[in-house]
Amino acid sequence: MQNTLKATPHQVDTIFIESPPPVVRTRLDAITSEHEPVLIQVAADMDGPGRYARSWLVVTAEQLIILETEATGSTVQVPLRTVTAVRAEALVGGGRLDVEHRGSTWAQLYYSNTLAPKFAEIAAAINQLVRGESLSLPTRLEATRCARCGRILPEKDGVCPACIRRWETLRRLLGYIAPYRWRALVLVLLTSAGSLVSLVPPYVVKHIVDDVLAPVRPETQTGGVRLLALLVGVLLGVNLTMWVIEVVRRWLNTWVGFRAVEDIRKALFSSLQFLPLRYADKRKVGSLISRMTNDSDLVEIYMLFDLPFVFSNILMIAGIVVLLLHMNARLALLVLLPVPPIIIASSLIWNRLQLYWRRWSTRWSRLSSHLNESISGIRVIKAFAQEQREGRRFEVHNRDLQDVSVSAERSWLVFFMVTNFFVSFGTFFVWYFGGRQLLRQELELGALMAFNFYLMMLYRPLKWFGDFYSFMVRAFAGAERIFEIIDAPSEPYDRTGTEPVAVIDGRVTFQSVSFGYDPGKIVLHDVDLDVRPGEMIGLVGCSGAGKSTLINLICRFYDVSRGSLSIDGVDIRDLRLETLRSQIGLVSQQSFLFNDTITENIRYGSPDAGFQDVLRAARAANAHEFIVRKADGYDMIVGEGGNKLSGGEKQRLAIARAILHDPRILILDEATSSLDTPTERKIQEAIRRLVAGRTTFAIAHRLSTLRSADRLVVLDNGRIAEIGSHADLLARQGFFYNLVRTQQVNTAMMASHSVAGPQTLTAGCW
Amino acid sequence: MTETRGVKMSSNTIDTPESGFTVAPITVTHPEKVDVRAIRLFRDPPWLLRLTLEGDRSYTRVKVVRAAPLSHPDHFIALLDARDEEICMIDALDDLDEETRSLVGEELDRRYLTSRIVRVLSVRNEFGTSYWTVDTHRGRREFVVQNVGENALWLGDHRLLLIDVDGNRFEVPRVDDLDKRSVALMEQVL
Ligand SMILES: Nc1ncnc2c1ncn2[C@@H]1O[C@H](COP(=O)(O)OP(=O)(O)O)[C@@H](O)[C@H]1O
Ligand SMILES: [Mg+2]
Repeated sequence: MQNTLKATPHQVDTIFIESPPPVVRTRLDAITSEHEPVLIQVAADMDGPGRYARSWLVVTAEQLIILETEATGSTVQVPLRTVTAVRAEALVGGGRLDVEHRGSTWAQLYYSNTLAPKFAEIAAAINQLVRGESLSLPTRLEATRCARCGRILPEKDGVCPACIRRWETLRRLLGYIAPYRWRALVLVLLTSAGSLVSLVPPYVVKHIVDDVLAPVRPETQTGGVRLLALLVGVLLGVNLTMWVIEVVRRWLNTWVGFRAVEDIRKALFSSLQFLPLRYADKRKVGSLISRMTNDSDLVEIYMLFDLPFVFSNILMIAGIVVLLLHMNARLALLVLLPVPPIIIASSLIWNRLQLYWRRWSTRWSRLSSHLNESISGIRVIKAFAQEQREGRRFEVHNRDLQDVSVSAERSWLVFFMVTNFFVSFGTFFVWYFGGRQLLRQELELGALMAFNFYLMMLYRPLKWFGDFYSFMVRAFAGAERIFEIIDAPSEPYDRTGTEPVAVIDGRVTFQSVSFGYDPGKIVLHDVDLDVRPGEMIGLVGCSGAGKSTLINLICRFYDVSRGSLSIDGVDIRDLRLETLRSQIGLVSQQSFLFNDTITENIRYGSPDAGFQDVLRAARAANAHEFIVRKADGYDMIVGEGGNKLSGGEKQRLAIARAILHDPRILILDEATSSLDTPTERKIQEAIRRLVAGRTTFAIAHRLSTLRSADRLVVLDNGRIAEIGSHADLLARQGFFYNLVRTQQVNTAMMASHSVAGPQTLTAGCW
Repeated sequence: MTETRGVKMSSNTIDTPESGFTVAPITVTHPEKVDVRAIRLFRDPPWLLRLTLEGDRSYTRVKVVRAAPLSHPDHFIALLDARDEEICMIDALDDLDEETRSLVGEELDRRYLTSRIVRVLSVRNEFGTSYWTVDTHRGRREFVVQNVGENALWLGDHRLLLIDVDGNRFEVPRVDDLDKRSVALMEQVL
């Protein structure tokens, strides 16, 4: 043990060597010698189960040290050779590292849940040391803080909302428009032209008033009716142009916008499909679905109705300000006076409004999830006669929603009134100060009217920008979440250098395989198993023992954490994923069916199969009889998730699907658990046919299902407890023997109550 | 209305049938009823809890867990053996003698690392994620709660439980007992 340590003291990764403050350094130096290589040196965030404080755990080649609180607390030293095991005990809201050793000191370290993944890894590493293996630590942990601003991330390894790279996101969004760039350019030009043209009418009106209707100096009046006709003609022309521009613009806008959004959705869906299962484990299905729906809606609205107007609205504001200043600089400055208060007032009220909207959407989702629940749970509600109570619950949610709607509406009203109030001030200024200038003959009536028009036109884009910004923030957050998935590494489907095997023999070899869904929380420990091609293995063990997990590894839904798993002697990671999976037939506990016809469901894994083959597979799975009894036979649509079929019927379809797929490795994960004994007996035969010549892993609770297995593998808490044939294991009188015996007792008990129960193997589990 | 807060505080009573016909009550045989006065707890070795039922059996690596940590923190305390099987249940902490009760209390404190918020220093909400800085009875702490609608649970009208992104738990036993500023800050996001 010492040798391996001394040989590689510096290969340890630095994420588990944190640098302590001087006080701790001093305390450490006092109790360690220079020649002791430090292997692990990390801080925990609690002192005992009491306060938040930093405590330190240091593991050297010789000893394990726990320093409670940096400056003052107690010091615990345990020689490494007396340590027997280290456990990371999960507590509520935190955890504790328990060091079990032959001494009598109390060696424990508490930490909050924030550090739980780290200490799980550390516990595993110390156990390696204790067992005399060389130390292997992961090179990185999931990021919990933003690398740029240090803020705690809302999701591990997620996006920091504060550091959303706005320009980067905008650039990527625009990237989706790139294929349609010419149309997009025309769109921008048209929109800008539209805004510029819309500046013309007030100016024409000014001329109509000043030059034709009420000329200040009559001697300048020239054409009279002719000029009037000309100007009105211009007005008409301008309006026609605006109308044409608007039609073309809208047409183009939808064309480009919808296509870009479609492309984004397409990219999102395809990366969702190729995401590793591990990724889906960590996120709620709802949150993934909401990226597909809400987030892409946000982006859609943004791309369709916001982005195209940025440029034109800037142009509009600039144009109006220039025109106002040009017509009458003094009045223009007066008129622009209310603009800053409007911006300030709206930003103040804005926060409040957002608060209400947020509240509204929480309550709305609560209401709709209750609605959803009470519709899908309608049978239970009726069975327990709780309709009244559900009605009352709904009323409460409904009233909550109404309360917040009223408040939101009220704030919105205030917001509206306040802005309008300030806006109207602009109008007062124009009439009063402009009117005075008019009386002093410094301003013409038409100019005054034009001023008023422009003022009205100015406030619209200003307000638009207020909305635009807040919406942009939300849309960008949505876009970030979408890009996060698009960018997530997909499963290595066609990694270069992987072997494109045509047909595999089906030898499956586990070599000291360890695996955990979460780093550190090991589910399978040191599994060694060599399965010959064509062999049938029965996996036995209590619920939660790791049977399905073992199978997940064979399908490569997850990669092993330590050790290696190979198929036909080739490491599974070097096999082409597609070839691997096309040769595995999986019939699982929850046989999932798609909302399609029975034929299509059976054909799912082998789309080229003809109807004859489907029939044969269905017969082999003993599904044929029930199918033909259905009104639509093989054309019956099975409903969402197959909910129009019984559990046993679904399982038989799943078996037929696997039979048709004709895999080299067959996996039956409690495939017959929802079948009654007579039906199961019928299927046994089908399964025996299917199993012949194929490597098979079968998990079942009933002994009868596993009778034909060549070997039984008994799993206990993630470890292989026993391997052997049925007879061997019974003769050994070990774990399996106990399972069987308890079950016989149970069956006898049930029989004495005249309930015939199937023989199940889990009866002896706790 | 406790029903709206997600956790029900009161237990249902079962209506008895109106006819004269009576149904035999369902009896539970496991775990067997243990007289709480027979429970003896020791630390042996100091970091492990050992339990003996006087004159009967002894268990090591005993765990003390609350059956309903949120609604009945001081009642229904289960003692589990090394395999997490229930040995017995203590219906009320008050039934225990002084010494055992303090040991059980200590064990509970070691297991439930929930922090009590005594003051809220700042709360920010961005995009449905809230960033908190609070003083708790364990000291100052910064944490992030994602999706406040789901991770802030009202336990009754005044008691609040916040669960942060890492699964740490923060409790406010009585929201009304906090200072005005804290309450105002919390109201911004809840
Ligand atoms: N996706 C998952 N993420 C985290 N833990 C899991 C996951 N799936 C299973 N587990 C855990 O792994 C252990 C083994 O589960 P499993 O292999 O499904 O047991 P079984 O033997 O009943 O098939 C259980 O403790 C279970 O809670
Ligand atoms: Mg399973």
